This record gives sequence, structure tokens and C-alpha cells, in this order.
Amino acid sequence: MIYFDKVSKIYSPTSIALEDVSFAISPNEFVSIVGQSGAGKSTLLKLLLAEDRPTSGKVFFESSDVHAVPPGELPALRRRMGVVFQDYRLLPQKTAYENVSFALEAAGKGDDDIKQDAPQVLELVGLMDKAWHFPHELSGGEKQRVAIARAIVTRPDVVIADEPTGNLDPLNTWDIIRLLEKINDLGTTVILATHDKEIINSLERRVVTLEKGKVVRDEQRGRYVL
Amino acid sequence: MAMDKITFRRILKWGFINFFRNGVVSLATVLVMSLSIFVIGSVVVGSSFLSGVISSLEEKVDISAYFKPSAKEEQILALKKDLEQFPEVRSVKYVSAEEALEIFRARHEGDDVILQSLEVVGENPFSPSIEIKAKDPTKYGSISKFLESGRYDNILDMDDSGEKKITYRQNQFVIDKLSALLATSRRAGFAVSLVLAVISLMVAYSTVRLAIYNSRDEISVMQLVGASRPFIRGPFLVEGVIHGVIAAAFTLAVFYPVFWFAGAKTSALFGGFNVFEYFSENIFQIFFILLVSGVLLGVLSAYFAVRRHLKV
Repeated sequence: MIYFDKVSKIYSPTSIALEDVSFAISPNEFVSIVGQSGAGKSTLLKLLLAEDRPTSGKVFFESSDVHAVPPGELPALRRRMGVVFQDYRLLPQKTAYENVSFALEAAGKGDDDIKQDAPQVLELVGLMDKAWHFPHELSGGEKQRVAIARAIVTRPDVVIADEPTGNLDPLNTWDIIRLLEKINDLGTTVILATHDKEIINSLERRVVTLEKGKVVRDEQRGRYVL
Repeated sequence: MAMDKITFRRILKWGFINFFRNGVVSLATVLVMSLSIFVIGSVVVGSSFLSGVISSLEEKVDISAYFKPSAKEEQILALKKDLEQFPEVRSVKYVSAEEALEIFRARHEGDDVILQSLEVVGENPFSPSIEIKAKDPTKYGSISKFLESGRYDNILDMDDSGEKKITYRQNQFVIDKLSALLATSRRAGFAVSLVLAVISLMVAYSTVRLAIYNSRDEISVMQLVGASRPFIRGPFLVEGVIHGVIAAAFTLAVFYPVFWFAGAKTSALFGGFNVFEYFSENIFQIFFILLVSGVLLGVLSAYFAVRRHLKV
């Protein structure tokens, strides 16, 4: 479903973020991308979201080359991928509910659908009681759960989570990971970038290990080895 | 993507919500924009008022030459014809003694004392005259020189000291001053107002740009969530319209006392013309100009400011 084909991203000769990375992700997989800070995890996800262009190589989402998609069709492609960031990136001027419904509005969903789906997803992440709070009124864990709700409410084919637990305490970390597992169980592909050893070891799912921009290991039911 | 009704409605909704949630930033933007369209409005009102004053004064400026009662009409018409040959003369109007009397009667209709005193005089006390208008107020000098050259001494009326009755003399000071003022004020005024308008436009644009710069992260998140460019840009444009409309209304409210005060202080300077009267007579056109410039300023500033961040 997703295929990285000999992808390199070179910022400058001394700063090579990714070098000749190739691997594929199948539908309904739960893939963890691990590696130390600066190993290229975020760059890889940015390339998939077409936030940045590779220096060479191609990134495919199903049959389409992500970087050959015309700008006008990019929003539609991005709606098939839900994103979760380490720093949440909620819209600060919008309430939790509005952050979630915004994604549906952007997708052009009707009002009735929004009234049905948005509360349902907030219920799923356990935040219906704080739906009308603004992000600055929420804790880190709550913000991240809103971000996940926003990412999944449009029923994307894949959820991309870039260090989603990086700013969270252990309890909230496990809440988020369990949520991602649940999403995967419901049939959505999940790509999780992390450097949290405990998470990787307890997940027992596929692990792709990056080191200095290269894939050094790719194992089913992998463990965190560096 | 064609903009459907529901998307348009949502853009409107978010424009209004964002305007209110931005609180202080919205207020500051409206104030700076008001300042900007205040300058533009002052320039527009000021220059159109001034040119109105000038052209109506120009209209009033003319030379009247009065003739001896003995002057024959053919002689006067011959002079009229001569004057009309001059390239600087716009028009020459002959007013016979009878017409002058009629005009006088009409002007004082109902004023019995004056009309009765006419009866007492018995004969027509008015002399025939011509009114000459020049194409350009600086040309009156040469026209009056022509009249005084002596060729028409036999028909032109003179007072006891031998001065010909040409009323240009009495208005010479006003005419000269006006023509000088006109020439310099048009040039200088245009340059100054252009500079002022450009500066104020830049200040307003910078303010909007800063406000939207604050939202740059939001804009990039919206793009990653899959919002289309029109859907991201739309609410900012709606906010721009709101800023412009409020700024226009606010500026009009500020203009009212400003012009009232300015009118009271300067009407003597403009020969009785009051800028406040001009303002209140044209208040709808002025508001329209303020509204259009405010909305254009708000929307265009927002459009270009957002475009900078829509590059992901």
C-alpha cells in the first residue's frame, strides 16, 4: 500500500537525512519506525505526507507517486492519511470538538455526518466531557487524544504517528499506544515513529530500524536493538 | 475544487468565529486599518473639496467691462467679436442695459423699497456691459491690458478720475492669489497625498501580515489535515472583509467631528466654502469610498499574507 523506492534526502553533503531507503508497508500493518534522534524517522514521514520532496527516489501511496500529485489533488490524498505529531499541533483557536470537526469539514462532509462522527470519535478517545475545551485548557495526554481523534475521524487508510508519546508521562504513553493498537485492530494501517524501547518491546509488531538515514533492520515481531 | 454552498457557509462561519476569538489582534488590525483608510479618505475628500472650491471660484472669476450709455450696440458687439478671437478667452457675454435692469428686478423681486426707488430714478440707471471669462485665470491680465489699450476709449465707461470701469482691477488680488495657489497646491498636494497613501497602505499590510504570520503553524497543520487552499484561505479573507467594514464605519465616525472642526476653522480661508458641508452632502459617496478601500485593503492584504504560508 505504501512503498518507499530507493528514497534519499540530502540537505547538504554533510547532512544526509535518508540514504537509499526502500521498504513496503501492507494494508492493516502496524509498523514501528525506530532509531535515535536524527536517524531520519521524521524525514521519512514528511516525505510520505508530501510535506517535503526527496532528493532522489519515489514514494508511492497505493499506485500514486506522492510527489507527482498535482497541488490541487494533494489535500484529497492527505485526507487518506491521518497524522499525529509529538507536539500535538492542534488548532489553538478551536475547541477539541472543532479540531475534530474541522477535519471533517475540510473533507467536505455534510453537517449530519459531522454531528454523528465527531462525538463518536471523541467518545472513543474518552474526551467527550472536554469537547468544548480549548487546547490550552487540556493536559498533554488529552491534547494527544484529541489529535488522534482528529486523525482518525475521516476514516483514513493509514494513521501516521510521529513520536506521539515523546512529550507524555508513562501512563498517558500507554493510553496513546493502546489507542493506536485499537485503531489498527479496527482495520487501519498504523505507522509509528518512536525511540521508546519499552513501547517497541511490548508491541511485538514489525519494526523497521533506521540508523544514520539507512534501514539497518526490518523484522516482523521485532525488538528494540540499537 | 468548485466552492459549494456548504463550504462557503463554513468559511463564513470560521471567518466570524476567528475574528472574535482573535480579540486584541482583531482590534489592533481594525485600528491600524482605520488609520490607513483615514489617510486615504482625507486625501480623497480633501482633494475633491479643494478642486470643487477652485473650479467654483474659477467660475466666478471674470472681467466685466462697463460701457458709456452712449455706446452703440454695434460697437459693443464688434468688441465682443474681437475678444472672441482671442485664444485665451472662453466666453464673452453681452448684457444690455435693459437686461441688466431685468436681472436687477428679478433679484430684488418682492423688495418694494428697492423697486420703488427704481421708479423714482425714472430712467434705466444701468449701463451695458460685457462679462469675459478666460480659459485660465492667469490670462486675465492680458485680456484687461487689451481693453485698456485705448482702442475702445470712446465706448468704455470711465469714472471721474479717468479709470475705466473694468472690474477685473478690483478682483485682481484674488485672481492672482488663486492662480498661484492652484498651480502649486495641485502639484504638491498630489505628491504628498500619494506618499501618505502608500505609507499607510504599507503599514496596514504589514499589520495583517504579522497577524497571519502568527497563524503560520495553524495554516500548515490545516494543510496536513487535508484542507484545500480555498478552505484555509477563505476565513482569513472573511476576516479581512470584517476588518475593512468595521474600519470604514469607525473612520466615518471619526471623520464627522474632524471635518466639523476643520470646516469651522478653515471656511474663511476657502472663501466661505465649508468642508463639513461638502462632507455631509457627500456622506454616502464618502462612506462608499471608505468601505471599498477598507474591504479591498483587508482582503488583498490577507490574500497575499496567507499565500506566503500556503506552500507546504
